[in-house]
Amino acid sequence: MFLTAEFADAQSVAQAIASLRAQGFDGDQMDVFSTEPVEITGGLLDRPTHMSLTAVASAASFCLLAFLFVRYAQYDYPVVTGGMPIFSWWANGVIFYEFTMFGSITATFVMFLVESGLLTRRAPAPVLVAGRILLRISCEARRAAVATECLRQAGATGVAELRG
Amino acid sequence: MGTSVEIRGDGLRGTLWRPLNGFSRRYLLALAVTFIVGAWGLGCWGYQIVRGIGVAGIRRPTMWGFYLVNFVFWIGISHAGTLISAILRLTDAGWRKPVTRAAEAITVFALMIGAMFPIIHLGRPWIFFWLFPYPNSRLLWPNFRSPLLWDVTAISTYLSGSVIYLYLPLIPDLAELSQYSSGWRRRLYRLLSLGWTGGDRQWHALERAMKLMAGTILAVAVSVHTVVAWDFAMAVAPMWHSTIYGPYFVAGAIFSGIAALVVAMSVIRRMLHLEEYLLPVHFENLGKLLLLMSLLWVYFTVAENLTTWYGNSPAEMSVFGERIRGRYAPYFWFMVFCNFVLPFVLLSVRRLRSVTTVTISGVTVLVGMWVERFMIVLPSLSRPHLPAATGFYTPTWVEISITASTFAAMVMFYLIFCKLFPIIAVWEYKHVSHG
Repeated sequence: MFLTAEFADAQSVAQAIASLRAQGFDGDQMDVFSTEPVEITGGLLDRPTHMSLTAVASAASFCLLAFLFVRYAQYDYPVVTGGMPIFSWWANGVIFYEFTMFGSITATFVMFLVESGLLTRRAPAPVLVAGRILLRISCEARRAAVATECLRQAGATGVAELRG
Repeated sequence: MGTSVEIRGDGLRGTLWRPLNGFSRRYLLALAVTFIVGAWGLGCWGYQIVRGIGVAGIRRPTMWGFYLVNFVFWIGISHAGTLISAILRLTDAGWRKPVTRAAEAITVFALMIGAMFPIIHLGRPWIFFWLFPYPNSRLLWPNFRSPLLWDVTAISTYLSGSVIYLYLPLIPDLAELSQYSSGWRRRLYRLLSLGWTGGDRQWHALERAMKLMAGTILAVAVSVHTVVAWDFAMAVAPMWHSTIYGPYFVAGAIFSGIAALVVAMSVIRRMLHLEEYLLPVHFENLGKLLLLMSLLWVYFTVAENLTTWYGNSPAEMSVFGERIRGRYAPYFWFMVFCNFVLPFVLLSVRRLRSVTTVTISGVTVLVGMWVERFMIVLPSLSRPHLPAATGFYTPTWVEISITASTFAAMVMFYLIFCKLFPIIAVWEYKHVSHG
């Protein structure tokens, strides 16, 4: 089941998260919803990311693919180069560079879609109200009372069950 | 057909979303005028396709004319957004927040327009796709060593990156707007917001992506205008074959980009009544940037011309003379006045610096930078190495019409964008006001 609690400020949310974690709830069970980004103090609700690594790996892969393709194309249809090499790093450097960047851009966008969960099947989300911060907790029914107590103590103004 | 956006949020949303509602008479008139001019330009292009490229004023030896001038100019303008926005984002300049989207939109539209010109310039534009590498029955591959191919890859990369860079921070606004709108707008916003719920995982992913994109797009933006500069520098033409051309073009692009941003912001501020959000301090800061770039531009211009003069090569001096005291001299000195003299006077004196003077400087710099592109393309072609081949370029009504229509198209795209999407990111503005 899902519980939602409404808060007026980021500090109260941080307090609720700390309290829930002390009760054994995991960071993956909690989600903070807001109309603008909320700064939660470090370590409480960190989200692991592979975006940078994937962008670098994708950039390198695109560069390699561009190199292989351009090299193949230039030997497959050799233009008269007047004694200059058929394939040259200098003349093709720009192409490799742009493909490298394109690889990074593509991977960043794809990883944004993946890590934000926009591509995956979603759990029910609360309706956002401007200026309010909502905390959603996924928990078993038997632990709902403990979670509710933590939320109320942290200053939640409304705790309710969220249905899909 | 529902078009309303019922605002139930706080005052900020009310103000920033108000321009999305309804159509004023002035708006419709502006849209109609830009559409007619744009359509006229398309008609002229059609005329050129039917009658052949001879209807343009490009003749031997000036085989590049207005179309290439416009290409370089618009690609330069495209540096308004993504590059400036990326620099300000990476340096975490708080004042950037009301500015970035207006700038990023300029980039996308300017790139779309700029990328059209090499195609317009082609004698047979319907086979432009031969530039793309695809398996074909002719067993040919494009020549990747050609700067034209470099342009294709660089501009494609920059355009795709800029579209993503504009789109990503729009998503939270679109999700909010979908709650408050109805009819086709609701469907459009819901579709484009991709099911954004405002969860912290989404905010984290967005911030990470924007930071990464800012770094990448900066590198791409610099490369794009360097590649455009190399279109010239790789040719052994007098005053083109210069090592300084890459950075000279990049500096000029950022210069004209800031000018375009200033002008766009000034118009938006007045037309959409956003005086409360686009403050004099934003114009003051952009004015300082414009002044800095003006000084940098004049430094590059002096460096470029002084080196030529000292070298005293006959072919280069022929072009140099044509520019400084010959047939192109009025354009050259007008360019210096627009890009340096006037902005320097208006922007360096603190008392004179205001929204109006910054806007005036922006307009003159835009004019001056267009003339600068003209001065780069034409004199070198008019005075090639072979003295007997000298010529003078005069544009025809077809080229002038197509040029005018692209300016109209830019305004039209911008008008439509401002009516569909909030020009200031509400969440970014709120985020900074909290921070």
